[in-house]
Amino acid sequence: MLQIQNLHASVEGRSILKGVNLEVRAGEVHAIMGPNGAGKSTLAAILTGKEGYEVTEGEVLFEGQNLLDMAPEERSHAGIFLAFQYPVEIPGVSMIQFLRAALNAHRMAKGLEPLDSAELMSLLREKAALLKLEPDFLTRSVNEGFSGGERKRAEIFQMAILDPKLVIMDETDSGLDIDALKIVAEAVNALRTPQRAFVLITHYYRILQYIRPDVVHILMDGRIVRSGDASLAIELEEKGYDLLISQA
Amino acid sequence: MESIVQEQLSLEEGAAHLTQILRESRDEQILPVLLRQHVSLQAQQAELGRIFTDQSLKEDWKYTPLDFLRRRWQVKPFEEVSPPFSFLEDWRREIVPIPLHEETPALRSFPEPRSPWEALAVGAPTHRHYTLKRDERLSLAFRNSGELAPLTCTISVSPLADCEVWLCLSGTGFSLLRLHFHVGREGRLRLYIPDRLENQSVYHYFLVTGYLEEYATVETYDLTIASGWKRSEIRLQLGGTGARAYLHGAAHVLSAGMMDAAIRVEHLAPHTESNQLFRSLVEAKGRSTFQGRIYVHRLAQKTNAYQSHKALLTAASAVAYSRPQLEIFADDVRCTHGVTTGFLQGEMLFYLRARGIPEGLAKQMLYEAFLTEVIEKVPSPSLQSWASEEIRRNIQS
Ligand SMILES: Nc1ncnc2c1ncn2[C@@H]1O[C@H](COP(=O)(O)OP(=O)(O)O)[C@@H](O)[C@H]1O
Ligand SMILES: [Mg+2]
Repeated sequence: MLQIQNLHASVEGRSILKGVNLEVRAGEVHAIMGPNGAGKSTLAAILTGKEGYEVTEGEVLFEGQNLLDMAPEERSHAGIFLAFQYPVEIPGVSMIQFLRAALNAHRMAKGLEPLDSAELMSLLREKAALLKLEPDFLTRSVNEGFSGGERKRAEIFQMAILDPKLVIMDETDSGLDIDALKIVAEAVNALRTPQRAFVLITHYYRILQYIRPDVVHILMDGRIVRSGDASLAIELEEKGYDLLISQA
Repeated sequence: MESIVQEQLSLEEGAAHLTQILRESRDEQILPVLLRQHVSLQAQQAELGRIFTDQSLKEDWKYTPLDFLRRRWQVKPFEEVSPPFSFLEDWRREIVPIPLHEETPALRSFPEPRSPWEALAVGAPTHRHYTLKRDERLSLAFRNSGELAPLTCTISVSPLADCEVWLCLSGTGFSLLRLHFHVGREGRLRLYIPDRLENQSVYHYFLVTGYLEEYATVETYDLTIASGWKRSEIRLQLGGTGARAYLHGAAHVLSAGMMDAAIRVEHLAPHTESNQLFRSLVEAKGRSTFQGRIYVHRLAQKTNAYQSHKALLTAASAVAYSRPQLEIFADDVRCTHGVTTGFLQGEMLFYLRARGIPEGLAKQMLYEAFLTEVIEKVPSPSLQSWASEEIRRNIQS
């Protein structure tokens, strides 16, 4: 589904990613772990087409298409979804208005008619219940005044609505208390299908207890330095990055 | 197509011409005694040309294009029309202007003119004076036939009354509207100015002053879609203890449009409160100016005064100036002000696009949302929808 080959990227002339290779197949869950500043969010930004990042080498294919040539909205239509590490507040745009626009843009890209209001509302209510979000949350402005936990749940809620093929979660677990983490993990597990893949970016082993990864990668200084199965995350938890890498 | 041949004057000649016809058009016969005194004191010296020479006036008009002075305007009074909003019809009740010889609180508190414009506008050939005694809605709708239409209007809101005033202008030409209101003890006035200036031959100049007695409240809602030239001057005096003023402005300034807001709120008594909330969305070649002043008298302790003005530019060729000014002479005062000017935040745009919303639509949504911050404060849902629809229709994607 996703193939990243020898990806090099820089920000403001500074080289951040230094040859990332990664292959993700449908149905898989990959965890990318690494210390602060390793380049995890940079990778997510490049996969979703954020401005300001320069790819200097390498390529990224998504279902055979050259992802780097596509606009952010086209990538979304193709099925890529990023749960942001820091979702931005958008005062004046209600959650309903936002999701209606997003969903209808997806439908239009598929050649479908826009949803009518009743269909939209029943979909939104169903998914909000899955994330245990209060009903009034739909009429509030996007992320405005949301607590840390609400913000992260709102991201997963959006994912549930847009039904993507590849989900990238950038530190969705950070700042969540254990109850919120369980809600998020349950929702993600409920959305695991043989057609859908997940890339979980995280610092901590904790979330991986609830969402079992098939593959764990360690990203340090712009490169994947080790990959392994779920036991690698446990080993990392016990030894820490430095020891783990020096032993490699 | 009717074509108007405009005689071109220099700015100074134009100012002199306008001064002269505003003076000549004044009908001393119909001026209430109190106003006649103001006028006779001030209007002899009033001379629009002073804008180009008087230092403090120059400062006030620094960012405002005055090219329209070049035209040889003729005075032609407004035609009174029915309000352009069907939702105002339901409420329509004839509120009769009061006879000019009757003294009213608004006539008594009519402030001495501070600028030549004010001095000249006071003597406009058309006058309306109202007293709103109970909970009433007054809608004033005027049409300008393409020339200079000056009007002076005073409104007295009786103590405890809870009233609405709607001001709607249409047509083309230069409309000069001098409005003064007085709100009695514990009274409340909501002033709505939904204002669409359709093209470059529309010039609206609102000169609004108000005096608030104890515990009186004023809310103003100035919603502007400007392809023409507009200046909105609002000067309020919170004269009684506990008086409150909430001023709102949302302006969508389109290409070649000009919106100029000059606000002054004077806190003259203790425990008074004011808030100025203004947003301008400025499109290519549009221009927006905001001068927001807060004055706190040394006796106005325990005062809260807030001001927020943001301008969002949709193109590099859009221009916005903001000039907040605080003059605070009391020490127990809470006062905040914030002014920002800038372009759309890349983070917001990216967030919407990353969810599949095409760039053009995403921008439209964010531009509209920027003005929504003010529009959602408008108490009339019908006016909210009018404003949102106008803005959506006019956003150039
Ligand atoms: N937009 C940006 N501008 C400047 N530097 C950036 C930007 N994004 C990331 N960086 C830098 O790139 C490096 C990697 O950052 P990031 O990808 O956020 O790391 P991680 O998510 O792994 O903590 C850091 O040194 C960070 O300062
Ligand atoms: Mg990060």
